[in-house]
Parts: sequence; C-alpha cells; structure tokens
Amino acid sequence: MLSMKNINKVFKTDLVETHALRDFNLEVKEGEFVAVTGPSGSGKTTFLNIAGLLEGFTSGEFSLDGVNVSNLSDNHSAKVRNEKIGFIFQGFNLIPDLNLAENVEVPLRYRGMDANERKRRVESALEQVGLGARMQHLPTQLSGGQQQRVAIARALAGEPRFLLADEPTGNLDSLMARQVMELLEKINQQGTTIIMVTHDPELARRAQRNIQIVDGQVCDFSMYQPAATGTR
Amino acid sequence: MLHIKPILSSLMRSKSSPILLLLQIILSVAIVANASFIIYERLSLMQRESGYAEAQILTFSVYNFDPAIDNIKQNEVDQLILRALPNVIDASSSNMLPLSGGGWMDRYVDGPNEDTAKSTPGFAFYLGNDHLLNVMGAKLVAGRNFNPDEINTNIDDSGMLALVSQPLAKAFWGDESPLGKTMYQGTQTVTIIGVVDKLQGAWVDHENFEYSVIQNVDFGGSSSNKMYMVRALPEHIPALEEAIRSALHAENPNRVLDNFQTVAELRNLSYSNHRLMATVLSMMVVLLLLITALGLTGMVMFNIQRRTKQIGTRRALGARKRDIIQYFMVENYLICIVGGLIGGVLALVLGQQLMSLYSLPMVPVIYPIMSVIGLLVVTTLAVIVPATKAANISPAMATRSV
Repeated sequence: MLSMKNINKVFKTDLVETHALRDFNLEVKEGEFVAVTGPSGSGKTTFLNIAGLLEGFTSGEFSLDGVNVSNLSDNHSAKVRNEKIGFIFQGFNLIPDLNLAENVEVPLRYRGMDANERKRRVESALEQVGLGARMQHLPTQLSGGQQQRVAIARALAGEPRFLLADEPTGNLDSLMARQVMELLEKINQQGTTIIMVTHDPELARRAQRNIQIVDGQVCDFSMYQPAATGTR
Repeated sequence: MLHIKPILSSLMRSKSSPILLLLQIILSVAIVANASFIIYERLSLMQRESGYAEAQILTFSVYNFDPAIDNIKQNEVDQLILRALPNVIDASSSNMLPLSGGGWMDRYVDGPNEDTAKSTPGFAFYLGNDHLLNVMGAKLVAGRNFNPDEINTNIDDSGMLALVSQPLAKAFWGDESPLGKTMYQGTQTVTIIGVVDKLQGAWVDHENFEYSVIQNVDFGGSSSNKMYMVRALPEHIPALEEAIRSALHAENPNRVLDNFQTVAELRNLSYSNHRLMATVLSMMVVLLLLITALGLTGMVMFNIQRRTKQIGTRRALGARKRDIIQYFMVENYLICIVGGLIGGVLALVLGQQLMSLYSLPMVPVIYPIMSVIGLLVVTTLAVIVPATKAANISPAMATRSV
C-alpha cells in the first residue's frame, strides 16, 4: 500500500543542513490503522507531508498503491493526492465561506466529477459522519467535533485508498475526540487504510500498530516487521 | 470546469471587500465610457477635413504706415510680386483666414423686403479675387469662378457675385440649385455663380462652421491692413517667408509684415482646446484603469494572504496550480462582469444627464461595452501575477499549524 525506502529529507540553509528524515523506512499494508507518534521536531510532520505528496524529499524511494511516486510532476502529484489520499487536518481546514456540502464537494470538483455523482457522494459522505441534515450550514455554525466530521466526510467522499490524519483530535475536547476516533475506527473496519499522526500516546494505543519517529528515524514497536528493514 | 457556483456563493458570504471593488468598477466603467466617448467626439472634430490645402497655404498680414500709399494700386502690385516669386503656385488677398478663430460673419436674405424675406443661416464671409479658390485649394462643384474682370475693389460696389459652400447651399436651397439666385445684403444684391465642395469658416466650434461664402472683392485694396494667402508646396514654405519679406520690402519698405502662419498651424491653434481636453480625459481614463487595476491587485493579494492555508488545503485536496490561478481569475471576472453591467447602465444614465445638461450627444452603447472589455483586460493583467504567486503556495501549508 505505502512503501518508503531510505527516504532522506534535508533542509538546507546557508549555515546548516537539517536532516528532517534520515534513512526512513516504512511499509504500510492495505487495511492497516497505523499511528505515528513522536516528540515535536522529530520529523512527524515532514513524514506526513511526504506521505501525502505535499512536499518532495531529497533521496530514497516512495511507492504508493504499487506505483512509484518519487518523482512526480506537480500536476501528477495533485492528481494522486486527489484520487488516492484523503486528508484530515488538525485544524479541520474547512473553507469558511462554503457550506458543508460545498466543502465536501471541493476535491470532487477538482476530479472533474459530474454534478449528479458529486451530489450523491456528498450526501452519502455527510450521512456517514452523521451530518446529512446540515448540508447547507456553514462550518462556523458547527462545533469543533462536527467540523472535523465534515473534514472526514470530505476525505471519504473521494473514496481514497488511504486516509492521512494529522492530529485529528488535537483541537477537540475528550468527548468529541472520542467520537472522531470511533468514526475513524469504523472507517478503518470498512477497509480504508489509515495513517494517523499524533502526539497523544493514549490515542495511538487504539491503533493496530504504532510507529515512533525519533530524530527522523523509525522506531517500530508494531507486531509486523516492516519489509524494508528485512531486506536490508 | 470553471466552478462558478462555489466561487459565487463564497463571494456572497464575504461581501464587504468585493462590494468596495464592485463600486470602484461600476464608477470606472461609467466614467471611462463617457470620457472615451467625449475623447472620441473631440478627436473626430479635430479630424474633420477642412477642404483647404492646409500645409500649402502660408498666410501673413501687412500693416502699411506710408500715408501716401494708394492701397488699391499697392495691393495689385503686391499680388503680382507674390505670384511671381519662385515656387509660388498662386496668391491672393483676403479679409479673413480659414480656421483662424477670427473673421467676418454675415447672412443673406432672399428678397428685397426684409420683413417677408427668408434669411440664410449665418456664414463665414470671405472676400477675395479670382485667385482665392486656387490658393485655398477648394474645389468648385457647380457653376464657375469669378472672371478677372469681375473683381470689385470695394465692398460697397455693385455687381456682387458669390461662391457658396455646398453645405450652405444644401441647408438653404435643399436640392434646388442656388446658381443664378439673387440674394440681398442690405441694399446690395448678390448673384450666386458657383458652389464650392467644402469651405470651412474661421470658428471650429461654431455650428455653422461649414457654411461659407466668397464674394468678388479684392479686399487688399480697401484697407491699409491686409491679409494675404500664398500657396506653395510644403517643402517650399519654410523659405517662402524670407522671400516674401525681401520682395515686398524691396517694393515698398514702409510697412510691417507679420503673422506668418500656414493654415495647418492656424488649425492646430484652433483645435488646441480640444486637444487639451482629449489629452486630459485620456490621462484620466488611464489613471482610472490604473487605480482599478491596483485595487484588484490589492484585493487579490489581501485574499491570498488571508487564504494561504485555504489555498494550501485546496492544493492538498487535489487542486493543480492552474486551478488556483483559475479560481482567482474567475472570482475577479465575476466581480468585473457584474460591476461592468451595472457600470454600463450607469454610464448610459450619466450620458443621458450630460446630454440634457450640457447638450452633449448621447453616448452610444458601444462605449460602455468597450469599457467593460477594456476592464476585463485590465483585470486579467492585474490578477494574473498575484494569482500565479498564490498557485505557488506549497500544499504543505495545509499541515502548517498557524
């Protein structure tokens, strides 16, 4: 599903070179729910950005769904993001001027989907997160937990191969966090691969597998042995 | 896919800055449309054909201060000298100069009884001899020119003949030929013997500018202050002034020769107000478009700042760079088109007001339309650069916690 081999990410300034990721190896199988934890500054966000094709990397090999995505053009990686990856952000990242239906519709429009299909998917995705009755509401009229559920609906509407969640409960109180977590677990049970970046060890424990990033490298305590380390 | 609907609903939900821009565009279109129309009007006034060989006619005045002078005799001798100068095509005296802003105006009536007779419109009243038509470069379209033996030396003489401009003939006689008609001017009678294609008067803003008459009087003999027109090819004009001065002074030194100007120069002076107006309005139009462009650029830049995270999110969700550029283009085109439509209507209303208040002609619909098209071009130029910058915002901005 997702395979990273010897990924390095170096930020260069005039004075220093910073290794955000160093020989980073990770294999994620179809249907897994992986939690990625680590202290701040460990490279979590860099990993997330690279995994989501939001930024490039310095060296290594990265394939997604069996396709090498190491050197994609800007347009091509936008297409891969749009079709294969569902994003859930810590700050929800809903567009404040658009109502819920229009927000969920955003990635579908970029896919060039026709209006009927968009409508069907938007309705079903919002139903799935329990907000089917509030399609015409604006994000500001919702609680944080509800907003995150809209963001999840937006990620689901594209029927992605996997979900990439960045601190999905970081801005929520514990009750809402639990509801969002339960929703993610439900989605995972339906077969969607999820990679969740979080700094909350309690939340991470609920995932099937835990990965810890320390100083840009993987410390894997999972029950699976990553294939990459096996072939070294 | 232009995605107009979500852009429109987004615009409708955060109205204040688009509305300010909208107002600016509405006013710009209304003002630009009317200003361009006035510019066009002025330019087309300035481009009217005069019918004269403007660049070939050198005019000047002579002031005689010799008390013993015989004006009639001197005038005849002077004209012979002028015509004999090298490169001179022809020369004539006159009482007034075309397009100069000063001259004589008069009217004829069509019967001896002033109470019952019908009056012609006012016309520019040229006095000249049989050479004047040739000097002016004017074209006779009916009848004949004066014969050399028909030229009077005094305006009060009998046997007055007249050449009339075609617009005057059309205005007074309609389709009827004016040739042979007898007209009255005070106690004098005047017979019309010719029609000239085009003969403008002295005042470029006068509504009767195209109405003119030449009467058969060699005016140079009637006064000690005279005006002359000398025709030569444009390349010979610069040397002509000196040649005229030395030839006429050699004949009689007791006089001042002054005001050497071609008709082309007179025309330039007469139209200078129009040119100034056209220039000032053009600058205003450019300035307005520039301000609108700055407003647009400013708003787009502000929106990009405000929406950095949103743009990153859109990129993360699959927007290509060109989708982002397109978003800003469509958003501003929408404002521009709505503003353009309202501004276009306002332009017509404003035009109507100007028409009734200052008796200007009504602004034609093409002007608002062209203004909107111009504004679309300005919008494109103003938005494309910041929009391209927005498209370069990294998708990783979506995960930045700001």
